[in-house]
Amino acid sequence: MSANVSMRDALYEAPGPKTRRRVAIGTGVSLVLLVALIAFVIRQFYINDQLNPKYWSFFTRWTTWRFLLRGMFGTIKVALMAGVIAMALGLLLMLGRISPNKALSAACHVAIDLFRSLPSLLLIYFFFLVIPKYGIKMPAFWMITVPVALAASGVLAEVFRAGVNAVPKGQTEAAMALGMTHGKITRKIVLPQALKIVIPSLVSQLVVVVKDTTVAYVVSYPDLMQNARVLISNYDALVSMYFVVALIYIAINYATNQFSIYLAHRQGTQVISRTSENPI
Amino acid sequence: MPTETATPVIELRHVDKHYGPLHVLQDINLSVAKGEVLVVIGPSGSGKSTMCRTINRLETIDSGEILIEGQLLPQEGKELAALRAKVGMVFQSFNLFAHKTILENVTMGPIEVLHTPKAQAEAEAMELLRRVGVDTQAAKVPAQLSGGQQQRVAIARSLAMHPTAMLFDEPTSALDPEMINEVLEVMVELAQQGMTMVVVTHEMNFARRVANRVVFMADGQIVEQNTPDEFFDHPQSQRAKDFLDSIKGH
Repeated sequence: MSANVSMRDALYEAPGPKTRRRVAIGTGVSLVLLVALIAFVIRQFYINDQLNPKYWSFFTRWTTWRFLLRGMFGTIKVALMAGVIAMALGLLLMLGRISPNKALSAACHVAIDLFRSLPSLLLIYFFFLVIPKYGIKMPAFWMITVPVALAASGVLAEVFRAGVNAVPKGQTEAAMALGMTHGKITRKIVLPQALKIVIPSLVSQLVVVVKDTTVAYVVSYPDLMQNARVLISNYDALVSMYFVVALIYIAINYATNQFSIYLAHRQGTQVISRTSENPI
Repeated sequence: MPTETATPVIELRHVDKHYGPLHVLQDINLSVAKGEVLVVIGPSGSGKSTMCRTINRLETIDSGEILIEGQLLPQEGKELAALRAKVGMVFQSFNLFAHKTILENVTMGPIEVLHTPKAQAEAEAMELLRRVGVDTQAAKVPAQLSGGQQQRVAIARSLAMHPTAMLFDEPTSALDPEMINEVLEVMVELAQQGMTMVVVTHEMNFARRVANRVVFMADGQIVEQNTPDEFFDHPQSQRAKDFLDSIKGH
């Protein structure tokens, strides 16, 4: 059973004949509008000479693609590293926040809110402009990866916390009744179940990380966006290049989303069984 | 019949608890002797579940004292955990660890809390699962079992800690009718083997059959307590009479 279908069944009643007719009309109208919009875009491209082969012919050259692919791998490298750091840091921040130690909990709460509310560009400027003033030199890779990871860690900490809160209270109570201590209950009972619940959301958060990496040009790190800028100035082909780069970003994020849907789907049975075990 | 000369296994002295303006436990005094089976009954909202849960501090209390084997219940930390380990608890909603197999559910306490070697814990767990009749399900996860089976596993999980007393918080209330008896049978057997038990339940037949004493609670107070025969046949208070009349319909 797909999660989408069950969600739709839960939220909407089955359409009757009138609704079905309205849906059919709506679908037809939107299709026509969509075709018109695409035609309009192509026409504008044509009028503004953007379909001129000089803006597109260099895409037939392998060197162009090699340069773009290098950029893409740069983006993926930063996104993956930032994602891994953000997950580890987010998990630690969340554990600190739910700790019975009041001071630690307050400190982690502040850190989470701080990282969540600061724009990643501001964090990047901090690592790019402020930190070097104090004699700390970082490679460009880390100047983009660390701030992006920090910005994401605050959000991920909250995702983890939502997962912990989603574990039924009875699980903790049963562990307490066995005489397990807070740390052991967290490690053995709560976290394993919470992680299972949040893994799909964590992976889809990676989409945000990927998008955050686009400001890598600030630190001159050769990611997809930066390499695209180089090609744009070489070939003077702004629109066509951004068009292709957008498609690549969409492909990366689409793949990421599909992966998270796959993970959610694979765990579907477990998630359902969890609720049926605790009927209240 | 158990006597009350020795130190009670469980003792509540002047226990009070509020939920905001609601006085849910009012000056509760109760002691449970070794081997005694105490059944707590009363209308919903009477505080019987809350009282049961204060005994291993799943609910805190505002004032009064709770003693386990003469030892004051610690308020937190390792000492509290150690005392909880001695008191088994069976919940209305089973609360088996959803991500663990049946066998792992039963070995979790001994391995993590008592530091029993894994092989020994597993052998003991299998023996307990056999005793409650679910040993063939050992490799499954809780969601694959029926409610009755899950609750019997929950009882085995508690027994694996070799508890000095066991608390049952409405253990059959979440079960389909045809599964209630298989759980009650296990509890009857436990009672006959001399386990000290506090049972919050609506199962009057169980109370009549195995309870040494019935405690009737209403509005956060213990209204009366007596042997089951005396209580069911000659309730003293008007509230107990009303309550018994109201459930006689079934």
